[in-house]
Amino acid sequence: MPGIDPKIKRGSGKLAVLALLNQEPLHGYEISKRIAQVTGGILQFNLASLYPLLYRMEKRGWVRGRWEEAKSGRKRRYYHLTRAGKKQLAPLREEWSSFFHALHRIAGVAHAG
Amino acid sequence: MPDNRELLRKCLGELGLAPRREEEILRELGEHWEDHATALETRGVAREEALREATNSVSDWPGLRRAILLAETEEATMNYRTKVLWLPAFCTFTLNMVLLALLQIAGFQPRIYWSSAGPFVPIYIPWLIALPVIGAVGAFWSQRAGGRVSHRLLVPLAPLIIWWGTMLTLLPLSLVIDRQVPLSLKLWSLLTYIVSWWLLPSLALFLGAVPFLRKPQPQA
Repeated sequence: MPGIDPKIKRGSGKLAVLALLNQEPLHGYEISKRIAQVTGGILQFNLASLYPLLYRMEKRGWVRGRWEEAKSGRKRRYYHLTRAGKKQLAPLREEWSSFFHALHRIAGVAHAG
Repeated sequence: MPDNRELLRKCLGELGLAPRREEEILRELGEHWEDHATALETRGVAREEALREATNSVSDWPGLRRAILLAETEEATMNYRTKVLWLPAFCTFTLNMVLLALLQIAGFQPRIYWSSAGPFVPIYIPWLIALPVIGAVGAFWSQRAGGRVSHRLLVPLAPLIIWWGTMLTLLPLSLVIDRQVPLSLKLWSLLTYIVSWWLLPSLALFLGAVPFLRKPQPQA
């Protein structure tokens, strides 16, 4: 499986994180693990690519981090999707859907949406 | 809780964010690091090797540092140092100058204390009395913005640091340019300047800042 260009990965990261947090609050490691699991390892976010993205989204008010006790008993910073974040989700989905649709028309890339 | 923050701090370097935020970031990245290492251990990798691999998962630490700083300052138009040091220091300096100018406009004259050696020491009593309030405002501002103790101390003293810098520039110049006034008189003038425009105001500003040097920093 060819690797994904970091720029494309970065662009898709917002949607991936927002979509996951729309299901339930997760801490950073869980987010990266979940993204890798769901995408079969095609999209992978490590410490260096995930946290700057999370911090930027937090600054924009899309997510809110809160220290909570994890199942392991350790305190972890769980990210919750905010109302502003929820509002971002639908337009981002549409944007990516249009993007894939356009790519499909021009280059025969299958439209996932 | 994993204690890998020191190692992370070494890898990342100082972020220059508010201390509490910086600590929070290190703690969060440390937890991620630990989870990564633990996951590798469950797959049979030795602890030492797992930690090494977790560390190596970041190939560009300066890049990560820049990315975090960019993310943290994206929405903030001012960086941390501007908020806790430069802006409050500038305002303290301005307040100081405005107050002195107002007192002069209002006709308050300095009290003159003659020294036995000849030169006099001019002291603005109302200005000196008001300086602790200005010092307190500066230190409080810096504290509210998340400033460290060093910032809260530097902000109130900013006007005097600027004056002192000016004096240190002007004195050597006057020694060269104005040769008619004897050197001894110039040095006495400098001494009186230090007492009336530097030492006493420093003490007054410092007194105002003292309560805010002791209090703990607020939540960032």
